[in-house]
Amino acid sequence: MTQAPASSVAKAAPQVPPKPRTWPRTLGIVAVLAVLTALTATPALGGVEIDLGAIAKNWTNGADRIGKMLTPDLSVLPRTWQPLLETLQMAVVGAAISAALAIPLSLWAARPTNPNAPFRAAVRFVLNVIRAVPDLVYATILVAMVGVGALPGVITLVLFDIGIVVKLVSEAIDSADAAYMEAGRAAGGTQSQINRLTALPQTWPAYVSQVMYSLELNVRISAILGLVGAGGIGRLIDEMRGFYRYDALSTIVLEILIVVVLIELASNVLRKRLR
Amino acid sequence: MTALAVRAPAAPPKPRRLAVKVASWTVAAVVLGAFAGLDIDWEELRELPGDLVHYGTLMFSDPDWSMLPEALLQTWRSVSMAWLGALLGVVLSTLLGIPAAEGVGPLWLRLPLRGLFAVIRAVPEVVIAIIILTVTGLTPFTGALALAIGGIGTHAKWTYETIESAPGGVVEAVRASGGGLSETVRWGLWPVVSPELASLALYRFEINVRTSAILGLIGVGGIGDMLTTYTQHRQWDTVGVLIIVVIVVTMSIDAISGAIRRRIMEGAKARGVERSS
Amino acid sequence: MNDLTTRPEAEGDMPSASGPWPVELDDVTVRYPNGVVALKNVSLTVGAGEMVAVVGLSGSGKSTMIRTINGLVAPTSGSVRVGPHAVSELRGRALRHARGDIGMIFQGFNLADRASVFHNALVGRFSHMPTWRTTLGLATEADRAMVMRSLDSVGMLEKVWHRAGALSGGQKQRVAIARALSQEPAVMLADEPVASLDPPTAHSVMADLAAINASRGLTVLVNLHLMDLARQYTTRMIGLRAGEVVYDGPAASATDADFEAIYGRPVQARDRLGE
Repeated sequence: MTQAPASSVAKAAPQVPPKPRTWPRTLGIVAVLAVLTALTATPALGGVEIDLGAIAKNWTNGADRIGKMLTPDLSVLPRTWQPLLETLQMAVVGAAISAALAIPLSLWAARPTNPNAPFRAAVRFVLNVIRAVPDLVYATILVAMVGVGALPGVITLVLFDIGIVVKLVSEAIDSADAAYMEAGRAAGGTQSQINRLTALPQTWPAYVSQVMYSLELNVRISAILGLVGAGGIGRLIDEMRGFYRYDALSTIVLEILIVVVLIELASNVLRKRLR
Repeated sequence: MTALAVRAPAAPPKPRRLAVKVASWTVAAVVLGAFAGLDIDWEELRELPGDLVHYGTLMFSDPDWSMLPEALLQTWRSVSMAWLGALLGVVLSTLLGIPAAEGVGPLWLRLPLRGLFAVIRAVPEVVIAIIILTVTGLTPFTGALALAIGGIGTHAKWTYETIESAPGGVVEAVRASGGGLSETVRWGLWPVVSPELASLALYRFEINVRTSAILGLIGVGGIGDMLTTYTQHRQWDTVGVLIIVVIVVTMSIDAISGAIRRRIMEGAKARGVERSS
Repeated sequence: MNDLTTRPEAEGDMPSASGPWPVELDDVTVRYPNGVVALKNVSLTVGAGEMVAVVGLSGSGKSTMIRTINGLVAPTSGSVRVGPHAVSELRGRALRHARGDIGMIFQGFNLADRASVFHNALVGRFSHMPTWRTTLGLATEADRAMVMRSLDSVGMLEKVWHRAGALSGGQKQRVAIARALSQEPAVMLADEPVASLDPPTAHSVMADLAAINASRGLTVLVNLHLMDLARQYTTRMIGLRAGEVVYDGPAASATDADFEAIYGRPVQARDRLGE
């Protein structure tokens, strides 16, 4: 990268190879980005209207509510314990069920542990479809199907977790050196024997780490699942917001924040110890 | 090699670590407690497959394709939110994330910045949107802003982590040739980390596409808004169309963005090879 | 003391599948899908209980040849026979069964680093265990005892519960040999078993192989790229160059001229391994 100063050594200017022209490419990329941004910011085409005027206009109104948020109303706390506990239970149950389902699915979705290409492609396709639907969309539809409560919430979390855990774990299996596979085959083992005895312990750290990560995400998601009626503390958020109780709302947000940070710290400690 | 023993040799006893045992029992207790505590009638699960088939038929056997143009328009609105949110979020995250990296910013600046990121990470985007819509109203713009602010939490973290994991050699070389902080960042750090940061920015967009659909559920507009309305009205043939649109659009954007990201990272590798040879 | 492992075995000393077997290659050609011809019309017979070195440069086809013998690589034409098994004809379960009678060790050890030494060596019992047993993690007492004896015979018994990744290179190769011995093989294949080891360790691993050949009467085929080791530890040497047999004779009497025919260049210092 840094050229040594050659002038003191060579008297004549050295033969410089022609500089590759990179500016047309750079210009092209910048142009594409600019056009996309302009299109997305054009309301006439269905894009987003960037309305800075509204902020100025609503500022006093908003400032009032934000002021309210800065003075949390702690009297709501006793009402939050039960929904908060439900939120955490949903997060744990969702993570546990998806963790169990993710073991075979991850092994089926990775190349070294599943040499059967069509089967592997099918598993991956289904998982991609599952991952393409956002979590709250699942919750909304499931609530309409099975009714309000924790059950649609748990199913939502399981679907969401399977998507990410299987993707990340199978990618970890794919990228890891799998020389032990050859040894297993040379010893006359079947694929499931090799998977069980060697691929599984080999994948264990990545698996545990991703399950812990999914638990962290679950706490965050299950906090808002209640907004659509799928159980947990989100129900209270929706209620407080409906009554413009912004002081109580900020208490709940603070509570979620503390719980999420605590779980993240615990999970970080655990993940480090597992390594 | 020694002569082979006729009987099986005495193997050393299998180690049983107390800590592992305690940890596994704790995990089991927590999981079982959570299962028992949830107010769920697990019997209902037996009806679930039947329900899925029933509603699946309602949704996908004869989707109401006349809703497709409206669905596509609303999807474009969601994608617009995602794009603008990603753009603004990545700019903010880069500006805040670089000084938060070890070796770039001083400690008194790093700690509060990282604290801020952690706090933002802990608050769901939906809640951020609920807070800022008091100022901006229920508009797609609120959605874009919520995505931008919510994105700072994770994206700024990725930014400083990327910078910290960058190989130190180049930075050292620039420092050694007498470069100051801004030269170090521009000539030592930026060329090394920019491909990865560009790749992460695209990934942020992919995440935002999903999140923007969620934000629609609280009423800021886009496909999520439409989906809530039609689900509440139980117009399942329209919901089916919406789900298909969401899946197809999300998977297509993932595929395109993923291909671009791979190219960016491979290009970075190729250039790295050229440099070292 | 673990009562599971002290049970005396009626058969006594590590029985082989049914005594040593000969290995026959008849006009074997291997052409890879990318067009590379790795083996060209190779015909040779290795007698039962012989210890043979296969030497050649990397890319000479010696890795391919050893892999055709246990069916990890299928010959494009020609036939491979190991004792009673017509390896090149076998598929699926029958092929796995044949592989169970042929032990193999690798240059890169091919251990699952995160699995314990015991589980890695248990891989050698795959062809003797039904898949459901492996899946449930239930090894029979006989399987356990066999693994323990194999580990003991290479001096690795006290490391049995350690992680394979925590061992040194020489120890890893010993575990890999124990894995192959657990199969109770009739033929032992070794693909560059010492190329990743330092000279003293290389010599002791080669001595182990020679001892296995002598004490159990196993047929041993070992790939080497260093002529010294071939001369010192084996009786017969096969030289491969560009997929063809260019030398086949006693290892001890091979001259520098023979090596030149194999390597295609004069012998150099780097072709010898220091003591």
